[in-house]
Amino acid sequence: MSENNATDPKMDTRAAEIREERLHARRVRVDRMFTWLFLVQYVAGIIAALTVSPYAWEGKVHTVHLHVWIAAAGGAGIIILPILLSIFRPGTALTRHVIAASQMLSSALLIHLTGGRIETHFHVFGSLAFLAFYLDWTALLTATIVVAADHFLRGIFWPESVYGVANPEWWRFLEHAGWVAFEDVFLIWACVMGKREIASSAARQAQVEHLSELEQLKSAALEMAMSEMQAASA
Amino acid sequence: MKRRALITGSLIAAGLVWAATVGAMYHAVRRFETTPGRGATARTMWPAGSRIARDHDRWTLVMLIHPHCSCTRASLQELERIIEMSDPSLQTYVLVYRPAGFQAGWEKTETFEAAKRLQRAHVIVDAEGAEARRFGGFTSGQTFLYDREGALRFSGGITSLRGHAGVNRGSMDVVDIVRANARQGTHPVFGCAIVTTESEQKQ
Repeated sequence: MSENNATDPKMDTRAAEIREERLHARRVRVDRMFTWLFLVQYVAGIIAALTVSPYAWEGKVHTVHLHVWIAAAGGAGIIILPILLSIFRPGTALTRHVIAASQMLSSALLIHLTGGRIETHFHVFGSLAFLAFYLDWTALLTATIVVAADHFLRGIFWPESVYGVANPEWWRFLEHAGWVAFEDVFLIWACVMGKREIASSAARQAQVEHLSELEQLKSAALEMAMSEMQAASA
Repeated sequence: MKRRALITGSLIAAGLVWAATVGAMYHAVRRFETTPGRGATARTMWPAGSRIARDHDRWTLVMLIHPHCSCTRASLQELERIIEMSDPSLQTYVLVYRPAGFQAGWEKTETFEAAKRLQRAHVIVDAEGAEARRFGGFTSGQTFLYDREGALRFSGGITSLRGHAGVNRGSMDVVDIVRANARQGTHPVFGCAIVTTESEQKQ
């Protein structure tokens, strides 16, 4: 019976519907989570700038440090698009990819605002783990490309900011991106497994719904037969 | 229909703002980090009027710092590395700028405390930047290295960029010069201004 049900195209369609509904609901929730995360990171960036480098000094004269402006204006510019997309286009692939890219840019901003602290680099790896909640490995790919592009371009035009030396080997960006790819391997595997679990649970639910529908039909047929018998005996 | 067009328009505008912000930020940060401060008009021999006691049997390193300059923390980290890698006989002085009209204590910042924690380094408050002027320095992080004869062997910064600690030509040169007693060196200096004008320098 279960074999017959597994090949039932109606049930397969229903299973696909349930799977998509669940994935969509999950991705909308993750979009919302990132909206809040972006706001928290924005405030944290401003606090970091005000704490680490509030003023630029020229002798005894001080002005607001460039870092504070970058945290306030640049930080807002980075998060405006992903927040609007998560409000008006929640759960879409475009929203996920923009969020992935913006999250990596937020990491780069926080690293810069904290003076390149090695500890702040962990933000990149934490962010990748959050992005894996989407169960969409292509979003991880977008994030990785942004990290690699950031290192590659800075490595060409401004190498000291990434590697500390003016003439690094051309492939050095691959070493940095390689560690991100290392984490990606496990997160992509987790995404694939997570999607399979959702698909399997959706198929079970479709099967239960199908069986329940069959039972209802049987009951209805039985009731009809009984009422016919009662009518005949009367 | 109007609402849909409004949302689409807003998203396109946000996309343009997003792209422009990323480009502008990279440009601003790059310009900020790679633009050096004013290089010193360093004296080729130890300045005669300096109140710092130079030991004639030892190499002497002098660094000027602005205690409120956030970029200078990186210079101090590099100085720490230089001290660790150099012969213990290297005499190190960190001159902490305090401008005229500011009370004692103004200079006691986290950067000042970081300077005080350096091994084998003497921290001296440079009231009104008098010593900075004697040495010909303009910028926080400016480092001078003088040999036993009092001849200038290095003048410049010891970070690769503004606020960036890590291996760089400036700090490597200082270590090489002290170790090998060879050649002279210079490197761009990144930090806040201490002495802001040429006329102030001449005072």
